[in-house]
Amino acid sequence: MQWSSAQPPPPGTQPPAAYPYSATTAFTPVQVRQTFGQPYSAAPPASYPPPPAYGPLPINPPPATPLHTNPAAPLTAATPTTTQEPAKKKIDWPESVRNYVQRSFQTSNLDPSVTRAEMEAKLKETISYANDQGHMYTVNWEKMPLPQEMIKEERARARALQQASHFSALSISPSSSKKRKSTDFSEGAAPPWRNGQNRLEDRITFNADKRPAPVEEAQSKSQSKFQKQLEKRQKRFDGGYKSTYREPTPPPSDGPVVGTCETLEKRYLRLTAPPVPSVVRPERVLRQTLELLKRKWKKEQNYSYICDQFKSMRQDLTVQRIKNEFTVEVYEIHARIALEKGDLGEYNQCQTQLKALYKMGIKGKSIEFKAYRILYFIHTANRTALNDVLADLTAAEKEEEAIKHALDVRSALALGNYHRFFRLYNDTPNMGAYLMDMFVGRERLAALCNICKAYKPDVPLRFVTEELYFESDADAAQFILDYQGQDLLEDREGTVMFLTGKAKELFEGPRKAAFSRVDIKGQI
Amino acid sequence: MDSLIRTFSNAQSSRDGYQLAQTLSPDLPQQQLQAIWKSCGHHDAQNVIKRGIQNSTSGFEKLPKDEVQGWSDVYLAYWKAIGELLPALNQAPQSSWTKVYDAWKELLSALYRGYIGQGFEAWSIPCLYVVAKNLRFFALKADEERNNNVAAGDTSGQIFQDDFDPESEQNQKLEDCARQLNRIFTLCLNDRAPLEESRKWGIYYIINLLFKTYFKLNSASLSKNILKTLSAYRGDMPPLSAFPKSQQVTFKYYEGVLCFLEENYFQAEEHLTQAWSLCHKDAMKNKELILTYLVPCHLLTTHTLPSQKLLEPYPRLQKLFLPLSNCIKKGELHAFDLALQQGEDEFVKRRIYLTLERGRDIALRNLLRKVFIAGGFEESKVEGGPRVRRTRIPVAEFAAAISLGSKQMLETDEIECLMANMIYKNLMKGYIARERGFVVLSKSGAFPGTGV
Repeated sequence: MQWSSAQPPPPGTQPPAAYPYSATTAFTPVQVRQTFGQPYSAAPPASYPPPPAYGPLPINPPPATPLHTNPAAPLTAATPTTTQEPAKKKIDWPESVRNYVQRSFQTSNLDPSVTRAEMEAKLKETISYANDQGHMYTVNWEKMPLPQEMIKEERARARALQQASHFSALSISPSSSKKRKSTDFSEGAAPPWRNGQNRLEDRITFNADKRPAPVEEAQSKSQSKFQKQLEKRQKRFDGGYKSTYREPTPPPSDGPVVGTCETLEKRYLRLTAPPVPSVVRPERVLRQTLELLKRKWKKEQNYSYICDQFKSMRQDLTVQRIKNEFTVEVYEIHARIALEKGDLGEYNQCQTQLKALYKMGIKGKSIEFKAYRILYFIHTANRTALNDVLADLTAAEKEEEAIKHALDVRSALALGNYHRFFRLYNDTPNMGAYLMDMFVGRERLAALCNICKAYKPDVPLRFVTEELYFESDADAAQFILDYQGQDLLEDREGTVMFLTGKAKELFEGPRKAAFSRVDIKGQI
Repeated sequence: MDSLIRTFSNAQSSRDGYQLAQTLSPDLPQQQLQAIWKSCGHHDAQNVIKRGIQNSTSGFEKLPKDEVQGWSDVYLAYWKAIGELLPALNQAPQSSWTKVYDAWKELLSALYRGYIGQGFEAWSIPCLYVVAKNLRFFALKADEERNNNVAAGDTSGQIFQDDFDPESEQNQKLEDCARQLNRIFTLCLNDRAPLEESRKWGIYYIINLLFKTYFKLNSASLSKNILKTLSAYRGDMPPLSAFPKSQQVTFKYYEGVLCFLEENYFQAEEHLTQAWSLCHKDAMKNKELILTYLVPCHLLTTHTLPSQKLLEPYPRLQKLFLPLSNCIKKGELHAFDLALQQGEDEFVKRRIYLTLERGRDIALRNLLRKVFIAGGFEESKVEGGPRVRRTRIPVAEFAAAISLGSKQMLETDEIECLMANMIYKNLMKGYIARERGFVVLSKSGAFPGTGV
C-alpha cells in the first residue's frame, strides 16, 4: 500500500468549478490538451497512471503559440481549444512563465516517474499561486524548479514525513496555509517552488534512479529548517538524544481546525501536537474517503488497513469538531467492521462515541447500536455500565425489537435461564450474533455446570445439543471432550448419553476461568 | 477582615483547627462577605493582610516568618475568591462560577503550599476540609452553569484527542476538582511526622470527599485505587476507629457500596452493617442510604426480607422494597415481574435493579416450596413410622405452578432449566430424573433454610 503523497490524487479530488483557479486562469483560446499530450503519449506513466477524472478537466497553461523557439518542442499544433471554460479575466502571461512551462515539457527534462497529469497540476498550482500572490513578474522563473522536480521532492518529503510521523507539521504556520489551494498535502504553507531549492542535486539524486532516495539523504539535501528538526526528533526517538528537553507546546488554537487536505487516504497517527489544517481533510473529502473505504472493504477485506484509515477519519472529524449524521455514519460503519472482525477495543471506542452522538440528537441507527451496547456490556460483565444503559433507555426504546432482544438476553442470563438464552442466541437481530459469539462459550459452560448438578443420572447428548444450541451432536460432544469429559459420554444402544451424575465439578473450574477473563483492550 | 484576623489569632493561640477553618468559609451571610471584600482594595490587600497576620500573634506564639507569609497568601487568595463569589451570588453580568472555582482553587493551592513548604501545622487541617469541600461545590456549580450555556465551547483541552470525550466536557471542573482532591489526599498520606501531629488525620475526610466526587463523575471504580493505596499504607495509619465517627460511617458506607457494585455481597454486607451500627440514630437520611443497599444485600446473602418494623420510619424505602418483598414472600412470579418493572426507574437510579432482579429466584423458590408442601405425605413404609413428605414430584406439577404463577406457558425444557438453577444455587436440594419426568427432592431439607 502506498501512503505518501506520491500517490496520484484519486479521482474526485479535483477542485470544484467554483474553485478560485477558474477565475484567474483565463487565457487566450489556444488549444491545450492534444498538442501537449500527443507527442508524449508514448511515455509510460510508470506506476502512476493518471486517474481518469483528470482527463476532461482543462488545464490552462499559458498560450503555447508564441513559444515556439524550439522546433523540437511539441507545442506547434494550434488547433482550436476545446475548453468550455469562459475566459473571465484576461491575463497576459509573461514571457518568463511561458518559457518555464515550455522547459517543463522538454523531453530531456521529463521524468518517467512523474505523470503528465501530475505535472500539469503542479504547473497550474505554481503559476496560479504566483499569480494570486502577484508574484508573476517578480519571481525568477529561470531559477524555478521544474514541476517534476517539485513533485519528486514532495514525494521524498512525504516519505520522510511518514517516517518521522507528522511532527513536521509543527513548523508550518497554519495561517498562510489558507492560501494553499493545491491538492498537494505534504506541505502546509510553503509555496511550491520552495520545495526544491537544491535543484541540481535533487535532479541528480532522483533522475538517476526511479526508486525513492533513502530518507536520510533526502533530508540532508533538502536542508530546510524543519527538515533538520525532523531529523533531530527522529534521532531522539531512536534514542540518539538523551536530552529531556521537550518542544514547547504551541498554544492551542482558538477554534476547531478547518482542514484543507484533499487526499482521500491518510495514515493514522496519534496527535501529540495541535493538528495542522493541511493534513486534515474537510468533510467534503471525508465523504469521498468513506465511499472509497467502503468499496475497498468490500473488495479487499484488509482489516488493518481499513481500521487505520477509519481511525484517521475519526481523528479528522474530531479535530474539526464535525458532529453530524456523517460522523455517526463513520462511527457506525467502523463499529460494524470492528465487530465483524472481533476487534472489541476499537468497537468499544466507536460505541462510546455513538452513544454521545445519539444523545445529542443526531440521527443514525441508534436502536441497532444501543442493542449492541447492551450485548457488549453483558460480554464484559460490566454491571455498572449495564445499569447506566438501562437508565438511559426510554420506554419506547425498550420495546424496539433489537433492544428488547438484548434486554431479554440480559435478564435470561441474570436469572440463569440458559434455555431462554440459547433460544435468543439463535434469533439475534443485526450483527448482534458476533457479540454473542464472544460469550456463548462461557454461558455453555455455566449451563453445563447447572445440568451436571441438577440432572441424575444422565441425559441424552441430544438434549445438551438442543438446549445449548450446538450445531450438531458432534459439536456438543467435542465441547465436552475439550474439557476432558471423555468419560462422561457413553453409547447406549445407539444413543449417546451424557453422564451428568459422574461429572461432579468438572466444568466448574473452566467456568470460573471463563468468567474471570473478560479483559478487553480499550475498555475503560 | 479585622474580625477575621481576630478569629485567626484566637485559633492560632488555642490551636483550634475548626475555629481556624471557619475563617476560610465562603458560607457566610452576604453582608459579611461584602464587609470582608470591602475591607481592603486591590492595591493594599496584600499589605493589609500581611500586617494583620503579623500582628495577630505575639510573644512566644509569634509565627515564624515563613508561616506568616503562607497564611498571608492564603487569606489574600480567600479575599480574591470572595471578590469572584459575591458577583456570582448576585448573578452579576461579568460573573461566572468558573471564575469562582478558579479563584477558590488558588486558595486550595495556597494552603497546599503552606503545608508543603511553610510549616503549617497538622492541627490546622480542618482548613483543608472546608476549602476542599467548597471546591467541589463550586466545581459542580461551574459545570452546571457551563452546560446551560451550550454555546460556549471551551474546547482547548480536547485538541489532541482522536475521539470526543463528551463526559469530560460535561464535568470539566469536577474532574479537575478530583485531581486537586487527589493532591490533597497525597499531601495527607505522605506526611512522615509522628502520628500525633500528622496530616494523616485528615485522610478519611478527604477520601470521603473523593469518593463522593468519583461517584458523581460516574467513575466509582477510581475509588478502588484509593482503597488500594490506603491498604498499602495501613501499617502507619491510625486505625479507622480512631477517627471521628462521622468519617467512619461515611467511609464504611462507600466501601460497602463499592463492594455492592462489584457483587461482593458478603463484604458489602459487612461494611454496610458497620456503617449502620455506627450511624447516629437520628441521621435518618444516612440510615436510609445505608439501608438502600443493605436490604438487597441481605436478600441475596441470607434470602431474608426486611421486616415491616425496620422500614417503618422510611416511607421511601417502604415504597421501594415492600411491593417486591410481598411478591417474593408469596412466591408470586407475575406480580414480582410487574413490581420490578414498575420500580425499574427508581431501582436503576439507585443501582439496585440488577440485584433486586435476582430476588425472583427467591420468589420461585417459595413457589416451588408450595408445590412441595401441597404434595403432602406418603404412606410410611414402616407401619406407624413418621410420615414422610412425598419427594418424587412430577415435573408437570412444577410446570403447572410456574406457568400459572408467571402467567405464561413455558416449555418443559424451560421449566427444567429453572429447576436446575434452583438446584445449582442450593435453593432446592434434589435432582431431576429427566427420563422419567420426575424431580426427586431431598428427604431432609428440600428447601434449605425454610423449615422443610
